Amino acid sequence: MSDRPSPELKAFARQLLAYEATANPADAKDAAAFRAFEKLRGPLGKLIGVIGFRSLLSRALVLASDEVPWLRGMQIKADGSLEASNELQAKLDQGEFARGEAALVAQLIGLLVTFIGEALMLVLVQEVWPKPPPSPAPRFEFDEGEHP
Amino acid sequence: MSKQNKISPRKPRKKAAPMPPAKVKIRQLPTGVRGLDEIMGGGLPELSFNIIAGDPGCGKTTLAHQILFANATVQRPALYFTILGEPALKMLRYQQQYSFFELAKLGKAVRFINLSDLVLEKDMDAVLEEITKQVLALHPGIVVVDSFRTVSRKALNGEHEMELQAFVQHLALLLTTWQATTFLIGEYSEGERHSNPVFTVADGLFWLTQNTERNSVVRKLQIMKLRGQDSVPGLHTIRINGDGLSAFSRTQGLGEKKDRPLLRKRISSGIPELDKMMSGGILEGDSVLIAGPSGTGKSALATHFLAEGVRRGEAGVALIFEERSKGYTARAKSFGLDLETPQKKGMLEMLYLRPLDLSVDETMREVLDAVHRLNAKRLVIDSLVGFEMALAPGFREDFRESLYRMIAALTGAGVTILTTVEIEDSFTSFEFSHYTISFLTDDIIRLRYVEIDGQLRKILVVVKMRGGNHSKDIREYVVTDKGVVLIGPRQTDYSRLTSGLPTRIGQVPSELAPEPKARWLLAEPESTPEPRSTQRKESTMQAKATRRK
Repeated sequence: MSDRPSPELKAFARQLLAYEATANPADAKDAAAFRAFEKLRGPLGKLIGVIGFRSLLSRALVLASDEVPWLRGMQIKADGSLEASNELQAKLDQGEFARGEAALVAQLIGLLVTFIGEALMLVLVQEVWPKPPPSPAPRFEFDEGEHP
Repeated sequence: MSKQNKISPRKPRKKAAPMPPAKVKIRQLPTGVRGLDEIMGGGLPELSFNIIAGDPGCGKTTLAHQILFANATVQRPALYFTILGEPALKMLRYQQQYSFFELAKLGKAVRFINLSDLVLEKDMDAVLEEITKQVLALHPGIVVVDSFRTVSRKALNGEHEMELQAFVQHLALLLTTWQATTFLIGEYSEGERHSNPVFTVADGLFWLTQNTERNSVVRKLQIMKLRGQDSVPGLHTIRINGDGLSAFSRTQGLGEKKDRPLLRKRISSGIPELDKMMSGGILEGDSVLIAGPSGTGKSALATHFLAEGVRRGEAGVALIFEERSKGYTARAKSFGLDLETPQKKGMLEMLYLRPLDLSVDETMREVLDAVHRLNAKRLVIDSLVGFEMALAPGFREDFRESLYRMIAALTGAGVTILTTVEIEDSFTSFEFSHYTISFLTDDIIRLRYVEIDGQLRKILVVVKMRGGNHSKDIREYVVTDKGVVLIGPRQTDYSRLTSGLPTRIGQVPSELAPEPKARWLLAEPESTPEPRSTQRKESTMQAKATRRK
C-alpha cells in the first residue's frame, strides 16, 4: 500500500476544509489554514490524549511532506497545535497553503481510517462538523499489483 | 325486642399491623455477557463500585466494553476513561470487531476520555478533578477507569498507601452519589487479593484468569465479592469469541431440575426386541448408558434411539465427538434410518464439538440451548470418551463430577439421555465403564464380544434398570443393513458368556453362526449371504454327514 491518500480521501479533506471555511469565513488566512486541526484536536485529544494526538499528527505531517514539501517547515507544539513561522507563511500563496492543508488533513483522516476504520472516523469527524460532507469511502491508493 | 331490631354490638376491628418500612431495592443491570447475569445472581447491582482484575489477556477490557454497550444510553451515557495502557486507538481498532460494539452509540451514548496526559504530568488530584468535571457534565450511568492499576502506581509512587485509599474513597463517593455504576480495571496478581486497599472499598470484585494447561488455554472468572446479592461461588469458565465474552456457570442447569412424575411413560429405543427386554421401553427422563468395546454398535443403538424419537414426533439432540454430523447421518442412512430430513426440518440437531479445550459447562450450555431451541425430548451423547478428549486437560481431572452436574441438569430438563461409553473388554471382569459413573445412570446396557466357534460374536444384556424390572437374558445380536438386530431367544448352549470365553454346555454343535464365517466369504466373495434358514439347513446336512462318517 502506498502512503498517498486516494483522490477520494483528498476530495473529502478538501470538502471538510471548504465546509470549515464557509462556516467561519471571517478568519484570517493563517488561522483558517489550521483551524480544522484545532477543531479535530479537541475530540481526538480527548480520545487519545495530547501525546497521542501529537504523534498521530507528526506521522501525518511526515507523510504529507512527501507530497507538499513546504510542510516540513511546520512545527507541532506541545499542546498539539500546528505552527508555521512568519517567514514560511510569507513565502506561500493561498493556493499553495490550501494544498498543504488538504494534504495534511487527508493524511490524518487516512491514518484514522487505517487504525479505527471509516465508520469510527466519521463518528469523530461528526463531533467537530455535525454535518460533514458525504463519506467518499476514503481509501488509500494502491500501488500497481496490489489489491485492496 | 324482636330479633330483627336487635343490634349486635360491633366487634372492635383489629388494627392492621403497621407495614415495616420498605428496604431499599437494588436494581440489577444487564451485563450483556451471555451467562454472567445468572452467575451474578440476576445482574449487576446498580450504583455499585466494582473492580475487574486479572492478568493481561484475560478479557478485562472486553468485559467492561460489553457492560458499557449493554447499558449506555444518550440520556445516561457511559464514560470510559483510558489511562496509560492500551492506546485508545488500538483499543477501538480491536474492540469494534466484536458484535456487541455498536458504532451508533459512540460519541453520544459511549464516550472515551483519555487521562494519560494528566497521569503523566500532574497529580492524583488533577485526575480526580477531571473525572469529577466529566461526571458532573455528562451524568453517566456507567463509568469505567482503564487501567486503574496505573492510577494506583502513580498514587503509591513515593507516597503512602493512605493517599491511594483516600483517592479511591473520594472516587467511589463521587461516582456513587452521582448515581453511576463504576468499574475500575486493573492488572493485579493473585498475591494482592488480600492486601490491596482498593479491594476493601469495592462492592464487587471480578477476577479473571487465564491458565495454560498443557497445550490448552482456559479462561476463568470468579466473583470474589459482590455486596447485596448472592452470586454463584467458584470458578466459571469463560470464552471469548466474535460476540465477546460468554460465561458458563458451574451450576448452570441445576436450577432447572423438575420433579419426575410418579407415572412415567415408556419410550421406545427403536429396537422392539430391546424394548421388550426393558419391560416395554426406556422410562421417559431416564439416563441410559450403553457400554461396550469398539465396533459393538453403540452408535448404531444411539442412532435407532434418535430416529425412533423423530418418527414419534419427539425432537432430539446428538452431541457427537468422534464423527462429524455428515458421517453420522450417512451411517444412519446405511441402516435405513433417515436423520437428514429431521435435521432440515428442525427436529434434530447434531452438535459436533471437538476443539480440545472445551469445558463441561460450556458444552452443557450448548446442549441446554439446543434442547430448549428444539424442545427436545431425546439426547444422545456419543461418546463419553470423545467428550473427555475434547475437554481441556484440567477439566478431565474433574470429569466425573462434571458428568454428574451435566446429567443431573439435563435429566432435570426432562430429557431422556442415551450416553455411549467405550470400554475395553476384559476376559476376567465385566466392567460397565471405567469412569465409575453407573450411579449417574438409571439404566445400563452392556455390549460385549464373545468367542464362539472361532467367531467374535456380540452379546447384549440389560444390567440395570432403576425404574423397574427388566429381562436378565443375555441376547446375541448382529449389526446389519437394518441396524442392530437382536437374534434368537436367550442363548442357553453356553455358560460364562459375560467372561467373553463361554463354555459350551449344549449338546449338539449344530448351531450356525449368525453372520457368515470368513471361510464362506473367501469361497464366494461376490455372492450375497443366503437366508439363515438355508444356511442352517445346509449346515445340519453337513453335520449329519459328518456324524454318518
